[in-house]
Amino acid sequence: MQTAKKRKRLNNDAKWGYVFVFVPIVSFIIFTLYPVVQAAIVSFQSYKPLKTEFVGFSNYSNTLKNGLFFKSIWNTAVYTAVTVPISILVAFIISILLVPFKKRSQSFFKAVFYLPGIASGVALSFVWKWIFDPLPSGLLNSVIRAFGIQNQNWLGSSQTAMLSLIIMTIFSGLGSTVIIYVAALLGIDPTYYEVANIDGATFLQRIKYVVWPMVKPTTVFLTITGVINAFQAFQTAYLMTGGGPDHATTMVGLLIFNNAFKYFNYGEACAQALLLAGIIAVFAVFQFKVMAADVEY
Amino acid sequence: MKKRNLSVLLAAAMIASTLAGCGTTAKGTAVQQSNGKDIVKALLPPVSASYQEKLMEYAKEFNEANPDLELQITTASWEDITEKLDVQVNAGSPPDIAFIGSTGVTKYLDTEMLVDISKYADKEMIEDYNADIINYFKNGDGLYGFPAYVEIQAIGGNKAMLEEAGIDWQGIQKNGWTYEEFREAIKKGVVKDGDNYSRYGFVFACSGVAAKDYFSIFVKNAGMSAAFDKDLKYTYTSSHMVPFLKDIRALIDDGSMPKELSSVDAGKRWNMFLTEQTMITGKGLSVFEKLATDNNKKLAANDGSAVEGSQEVEYIVLPVPTFQGNKQQAQGAVDGYVCFRGKDEPSPDHLKNVAKAAYFLASGKRAAETCQELYISPICKSGEEAFASLPPMEGKNENNTNAVKNLATQVAEARPDIPADLGAKAIKIEDEVILPKFQGLLAGEITPEEMHEAIKKAAVEAFGEEGCVMD
Repeated sequence: MQTAKKRKRLNNDAKWGYVFVFVPIVSFIIFTLYPVVQAAIVSFQSYKPLKTEFVGFSNYSNTLKNGLFFKSIWNTAVYTAVTVPISILVAFIISILLVPFKKRSQSFFKAVFYLPGIASGVALSFVWKWIFDPLPSGLLNSVIRAFGIQNQNWLGSSQTAMLSLIIMTIFSGLGSTVIIYVAALLGIDPTYYEVANIDGATFLQRIKYVVWPMVKPTTVFLTITGVINAFQAFQTAYLMTGGGPDHATTMVGLLIFNNAFKYFNYGEACAQALLLAGIIAVFAVFQFKVMAADVEY
Repeated sequence: MKKRNLSVLLAAAMIASTLAGCGTTAKGTAVQQSNGKDIVKALLPPVSASYQEKLMEYAKEFNEANPDLELQITTASWEDITEKLDVQVNAGSPPDIAFIGSTGVTKYLDTEMLVDISKYADKEMIEDYNADIINYFKNGDGLYGFPAYVEIQAIGGNKAMLEEAGIDWQGIQKNGWTYEEFREAIKKGVVKDGDNYSRYGFVFACSGVAAKDYFSIFVKNAGMSAAFDKDLKYTYTSSHMVPFLKDIRALIDDGSMPKELSSVDAGKRWNMFLTEQTMITGKGLSVFEKLATDNNKKLAANDGSAVEGSQEVEYIVLPVPTFQGNKQQAQGAVDGYVCFRGKDEPSPDHLKNVAKAAYFLASGKRAAETCQELYISPICKSGEEAFASLPPMEGKNENNTNAVKNLATQVAEARPDIPADLGAKAIKIEDEVILPKFQGLLAGEITPEEMHEAIKKAAVEAFGEEGCVMD
C-alpha cells in the first residue's frame, strides 16, 4: 500500500518535472534548434521571400572559392589568438590584485571593471573612436607621442587597424572575466595558502603552485567561451572600421552579416555561418581535449 | 498545490505568447482593413529636421481627404531604418511605402517585393515630376516609387579662408574648376609649422563606407559618370582610372589633405571645418550652410552647445573639380518613397491606394516643406507651387542657392537601363573591392595601379572581359 502510494507520488512528481522541463525545451526548440535547422536548410537554397530555389552545395562551393572568406577566417583567428589569452592574463592579474581588498572595495573595483560591459556597443565605439582619433591631437596619439612614438592612423591603416580592435576588445570586455576569476580565487581553501606559507613559498610560487592549478577549471571555461565569442566577433569591426582598410579587419561575422543583410544572399550567409560553427566546434573540442584533460568539474 | 497551478498557468501563458507571434495569415489576396478602411502602412526616417513632427499632421490630412483609406506611419531613425526595412522585406511583410535612396531600388528589386506603380498611379501623378529625376526610381519599364528630392553632393568651403587665399569662389561656382586649379588652391589653404599642421586645404570624410562617397562623387568628373556605359560595359576598368587615382593620391602627398584621411569620419571633418582646421570640406550638402549658420548664431549668443573651439564660418557651396579635361558632372542623391508588396498577392485597389499615398507624401506641401528645410528646390510641379507660397528662408546665401541650381542641371542621368542583376554585381564590387582598395590607397598602402588591377580582376570575373571597358 505504502509502495503504491510512493510510486504514485513519484509519478506525480515526474509529471510535474516534465511540465517544468517542457518550458525550457519549447524555448530551446523555438529559439535555438529551429533557427539552426532553418539555417541549414537555407544554406542549400537561393532564398528570396517570394521564390526560393534549391541550389545544392553551390553556396558552400562559392564560399570555399571566395578568397575573402579565407582572409576573414585568418583575421578572426589572429583576433582570437591575441585577444583571448591577453584578456585572460590581464583579468587574472587584476583579480589577484583585487582579492586582498575588503569586500566593499572589491565590489567597487568589480563594478568599475564591469561598467563597459553594460554600456551599449555603439556608445563604446564613439568613445574608442575618440581615443583612436588619427590626428596628432587625438588622445592615444598624444600619449604615444610622450614616448617618442610618431603619430598613428589607428583605424585607417591596415598595420594598426586590427591592433586597435584588439586593444578595444581587451579593455572593454575585462569585466565579466574579472568577476569570474575573483569568485574562483575566493573559492580556494585558505589552508592551501597556509601550507604554502609554512613551506616558505614566495608570492610567485604560491601563484604557480596553488592559485593557477586551483583556478584551472575556470581558466579552461573562460578560454573556451572566449574563443567561441571571439570567433563570432562582429560588432567591433562593424562599428569601428566596417572591415577596412583593404579588408584588414573583416571578420567572418561581418562577412556573414554583409552577405545576409547588405546583399540579401542568405543562402551563402547561412553556409558561411555553418562553416564557422563547424570551425568553432573543432576548436572547442580540441581545447577541451588538450586543456581539460586533468581538470575535474 | 496553488503555487504549482500558478506556475503551470504562467508557463502556459509564456508559451502561448511565444507561439502567438508564429501565426500565419490566410493565403490569397492580402487585405488590411480597419473599420472598413484600406490601411496603407509607411516606414519613414527623419527626412528633415521637423519632418517626423509634421508626419502625423500629413497623415491626418491624407486620411481626411480619403475617408476610405487610413495612412499609418511608423518612424525610424536613419541608423535603424535600413535594417528594419531589410528584415521586413526578407520576412515577406514589408510596409507598403518606405523612404529609401534610389540606389536601393536595384537591391529590393532583386527580392521581387517592389511594386511597379506605373500601372496604379494616375498619369497626372507621374507627369508632376521632372522626367529625368523620376527615372531614378525606374528600372527597365517599371516605376517603383516617387522621388522626394535631389540632394546635390559636392564640396564646401570657408568663405573667409577662400578669399584670404585669393580664390575666386564666385567664379568657381559659375564656371567650375579643373583638378590642377583645385590642387593649387587647396595648397594655399594649408597652415603648418614644420611637420605640425594647424590647417589643411581639403578634408573629405573617408572613414569606413564614407570613402565610397569620395570615390563616387569625384570619379563622375573623371569621365566615368556611372559604373556602366551605354553599352552596359563596366567602366571602372578603363585606363582613365589610373591617372584619376594618382591625382587623388597626390592631394595627400602634397600635404593639402591629412595623411590620416582614411580614418577621418563625417563628424570629425565637420568639426575640423567649424574649428578652422580645413579650408574646404566634403562631402558637402546644401543644408551645411544652415548648420554653419546655426552654429554661428550659438557662438554669437554665447550658447554652450556651439561646437567647442569653433569660429564663425560662412559655408560656400563649391563644385567638384574636373579631371583630365572631362566635363563637370554633379552627384545627386535622389531619395524618395518606394512601394512594396507582401508575400500575399495585394489587390489592385490596394496598390492604387498605396501609389496614391506615396504620391501624397512625395508631392505638394510635403515636398515643399522638406526641400525648404534641406535648402534645396522641389523636383515636382506641385512642390514648386507650394514652395513659392512658403515664407522665404532668412539669411540664405543667394550665391549658394544659384550654385546648387546650376549643379542640379548637371546631375548624372538616371540609368534605368542597367539590369538589376548587373547593378547588384557592381554594388558588390564597389563594396568588396573598390571601397577597401580605395581606403588602402588613401592610407598609402597600395598604389593606383594595384587598385586598378584589383578592380579589373573582380570586374572580369563578374562580367567577363567583353563586359568591361578595356581601353
